[in-house]
Amino acid sequence: MTSGPYNYSYIFKYIIIGDMGVGKSCLLHQFTDKKFMADCPHTIGVEFGTRIIEVAGQKIKLQIWDTAGQERFRAVTRSYYRGAAGALMVYDITRRSTYNHLSSWLTDTRNLTNPSTVIFLIGNKSDLDGQRDVTYEEAKQFADENGLMFVEASAKTGQNVEEAFLETAKKIYQSIQDGRLDLNAAESGVQHKPASPGRPLAAQPPARDNCAC
Amino acid sequence: MNYEETKSVVQEKFLSSERVTAFLCDAKVLHPEWVKKDRLLCIVEYGDEKAVFCLFTSSYPPKSFTDLSIEIVLPIDNTFKCEIDNKPSDPEAVLYLNLQSRNNKFKFEIQMTPRVDNFVDDLFRGIEAVSKVPTQPEFVWLKKYHGKDEDDIITQFSVIPRSGVAHAQNSAPVAIRESLIKRKMYDKELEYTFTKKFTVFCGTWNVNDKSPVIPLEGWLSVDREPPDIYAVGFQELDLSKETFLFDQTFREDEWYNAVINYVDRRAKYVKLEKVRLVGMLLIVLIKQKYISHVRNVVCDTVGTGIMGKMGNKGGVSIRFDLHNTSMCFVNSHLAAHVEEYERRNQDFRDICNRTRFLQPNQQAKAIKDHDQIYWIGDLNYRITDLDPNTVKQLIKDNNFEKILEWDQLKQQHKNNNVFAGYTEGPITFKPTYKYDPGTDNWDSSEKNRAPAWCDRIFWKGEAISQLAYRSHPALNISDHKPVSATFSSSIKVIDEEKYRKVYEDVIKQLDKLENELIPQVKVDLTEIDFGTVKYLELQVRTITIKNIGKLPVEFEFIKKLDETSFCKEWLIVEPYKKCICADESCEIQLKVLINKTSACKINAGTDKLYDILVLHLYGGKDIFITVTGTYQRSCFGCSIEVLVNLNKPIKDVPVGKLIELENKRDQCVSNQSTYSIPKEIWFLVDHIYLHGLKEPNLFEQPGLHSEVLQIRDWLDSGSVDPIPGSIHSVAEALLLLLESTADPIIPYNLQSICLKASANYLQCKQIVMELPEFRKNVFLYLCEFLQEALQHSAENGLDAKTLSTLFGEIFLRDNPNQIQEPQSRINKQVIDKKKAQFVHHFLVNDHSDLIFTR
Repeated sequence: MTSGPYNYSYIFKYIIIGDMGVGKSCLLHQFTDKKFMADCPHTIGVEFGTRIIEVAGQKIKLQIWDTAGQERFRAVTRSYYRGAAGALMVYDITRRSTYNHLSSWLTDTRNLTNPSTVIFLIGNKSDLDGQRDVTYEEAKQFADENGLMFVEASAKTGQNVEEAFLETAKKIYQSIQDGRLDLNAAESGVQHKPASPGRPLAAQPPARDNCAC
Repeated sequence: MNYEETKSVVQEKFLSSERVTAFLCDAKVLHPEWVKKDRLLCIVEYGDEKAVFCLFTSSYPPKSFTDLSIEIVLPIDNTFKCEIDNKPSDPEAVLYLNLQSRNNKFKFEIQMTPRVDNFVDDLFRGIEAVSKVPTQPEFVWLKKYHGKDEDDIITQFSVIPRSGVAHAQNSAPVAIRESLIKRKMYDKELEYTFTKKFTVFCGTWNVNDKSPVIPLEGWLSVDREPPDIYAVGFQELDLSKETFLFDQTFREDEWYNAVINYVDRRAKYVKLEKVRLVGMLLIVLIKQKYISHVRNVVCDTVGTGIMGKMGNKGGVSIRFDLHNTSMCFVNSHLAAHVEEYERRNQDFRDICNRTRFLQPNQQAKAIKDHDQIYWIGDLNYRITDLDPNTVKQLIKDNNFEKILEWDQLKQQHKNNNVFAGYTEGPITFKPTYKYDPGTDNWDSSEKNRAPAWCDRIFWKGEAISQLAYRSHPALNISDHKPVSATFSSSIKVIDEEKYRKVYEDVIKQLDKLENELIPQVKVDLTEIDFGTVKYLELQVRTITIKNIGKLPVEFEFIKKLDETSFCKEWLIVEPYKKCICADESCEIQLKVLINKTSACKINAGTDKLYDILVLHLYGGKDIFITVTGTYQRSCFGCSIEVLVNLNKPIKDVPVGKLIELENKRDQCVSNQSTYSIPKEIWFLVDHIYLHGLKEPNLFEQPGLHSEVLQIRDWLDSGSVDPIPGSIHSVAEALLLLLESTADPIIPYNLQSICLKASANYLQCKQIVMELPEFRKNVFLYLCEFLQEALQHSAENGLDAKTLSTLFGEIFLRDNPNQIQEPQSRINKQVIDKKKAQFVHHFLVNDHSDLIFTR
């Protein structure tokens, strides 16, 4: 047995953002546990999930920060954008207001992350097509105009969930390959797996940097 | 730390009903995938049941039970087996303990100490006890150590040495995670592999310094089907001094080319590797179509000749992985001479012990670490105790069995002195040594040696069957005849699809576990409303954090982006950082206290009673805790300019109006204002003037905090009742009120001028003249009052010096926003003195002229 296939070479930090109730936590759970949490409580804070995936034969560990969507937490959740390699921006296709707020989420993302951060737009709850309030075409146009990747997904059925997370990773990996993403930059959101023991692994929330721990 | 102390630490890891009966330090788990670090083995007894635990210790010796994590649990039940070996090279010092329970096998390396006997005794007592019990013990008590799942992966996963606390996310868990995956995959090998038969040809020939002058197909190409793998070994390729001393020979190429030329022509072969040490050459070829399935080809050589290391004797080896099966080929030339069989045994052991296949980033592999081992060579074992002529006669009669009874190798092998665990097929061919070169005649030299089967082939490993074992007498250029064997060997081939599936399952399982092991807590309240909060009145709320995860959790309230503190200054959180063990809870007190600093900010609308705290779990999520409250505005913390404009109690003034006034206080104009001094100051002073001028210890005896709060409410609500509380409480309320004003009575920017002028009354007067109007009023009003109070010094015990010191501090308040240079005590005293001196002038001089300038 060789050790090759079992290593993972990179750690990517993701954040999931969007209005309250669009299904951010459910998307995370679907991705990490392959389960739909029907009565998912509102996230009061920032949840944390991880999964190892494979991109181009490389094992990559995703560290996913799922943020609270409530407006009153907006100022605090901004702390978590820093150092994200990927941002999944989620709206609910059955609630237009969540779509209308995207530009404000996008502004935050652009301001608080670095230019190479991959932003992926997810229109969640695609299983509720009957209650659709935002057409695919409209969102697709918004995504194209802003240079975002886009799918409609369903955390309930799992449709496109895997794709959204993986495509984001692919794009990030591609950026590394192209040299557009500087691994040495502190805020790239990507880490090489440490070769020697003792180096911290986890991307820490930025607020921790200054604290006396 | 002595044995007993360590034992008590280990005992703490378990419940008191679970007794640690014996333990051993310095145990190493021998598993290629495990971090080789000292572990601790202990035997734990619960009622009649015993189990062996292997613990990982993060500090050595363990100082606390939190240093220990349980890594392996082996219940001593009917399936439990224990075998003990000595380390061959060091039998006195090192012991191998092979423990097996319910299909889990572990090998431990243990340093010999007097404690080992104790431990082993205890172990065997346990095994014995189980064998006497008719029913299988249930080991219910072990379940908690296994985790909720029966799967052993949990047991192993929980070992992750997060140093007891989840935040230690360094690379150690990564290494362990990887080795766990490897191990898990290895255990499930059968689920994703199938076997495929490969034919393996092994040939050995001592060529006695000859060149390949004859064709070799009679040796190498005799099977019905072309073999898939060739392993061809030569000995005594070149007996020249040069070869021996400088390890150079042209014969290597000659014989290599001869082999290439004479292998089965019906198939296309490629070289996997060849390796030579002096006269020993080993060549491994494989059918070209299989080369892509070969990985990790490594070779090694070991000399066991003169001085135990020269290459005239020894072994050369090649290892590789074919599909998912590891294969090792060894060609050896062991010590010569009839009587030297012990030496040959020793050579074999030396080759086994010293051969090391080094691969980058992997632990070195030994010969034994392979699924299949093929060992060929001139092993040099002879026929002893049988007369040469008898031997020759028996050979003539084809009665090999009789001779083989006297074969040293058969004898030594039978006694496990050599090739233990290896197999040799039945010998049905004539001895291969020693002939007159070029003939089939036995050696005709004077020595008259008995013929012997020097050239042999052994194998080890499962699913190998020998198809042929023979010699090739027609190849007669040497004094040895070549020997060959063909095997049909099962090779494990990975079914890529199944492999992927199993691999993904394993990864998924680990991911799931990892997510489950992320620290989890339950916080009973994430929104805390303090309700109405009043000035200087402490309010406390408690929240409870319960650790509902599997590991200890360390939490800390952390700062938000761009903030200097994790919470607002009016909030106190205790404790703000702590570790909570699994299933335990921690109460956190949140205290709100509005003092003058925060009151001023709230009054001015620059702060409000609202904060979001970030409760961070190391290695896990963050929880937001929202703190809110309604501040009941008070005259305390307002500026004098605002207070003089309030013609009704502050309680009745809308908050927006207050904020507006505060923000416009600089533009406060006298002729539009309601009062010349704040009515609150007047109420307090007037009360003391009327009722307290003769009160002993006035301004020196503290009031009661509760009464001060009542006076606060009385002032803020504009009550018509008499002022509550004692004179001392009223005096204290006055001081607190004066101290709390948003701006000091003498503005910060005039402070240093005041201090400089403090010796000169006229200058001081000049400064007071220039004070902002309402502050000047308050200043003069208070000085006037204090002069009045001093009139009654006989009763109230006041003196000008005390009062000027007290009020100097209030009138000339230090600027809290100015970063104070670390003032020396003396410097501070000088400043305080000057402040007092400044005020003193106005307490002892008549300054009515100032009052009437208005």
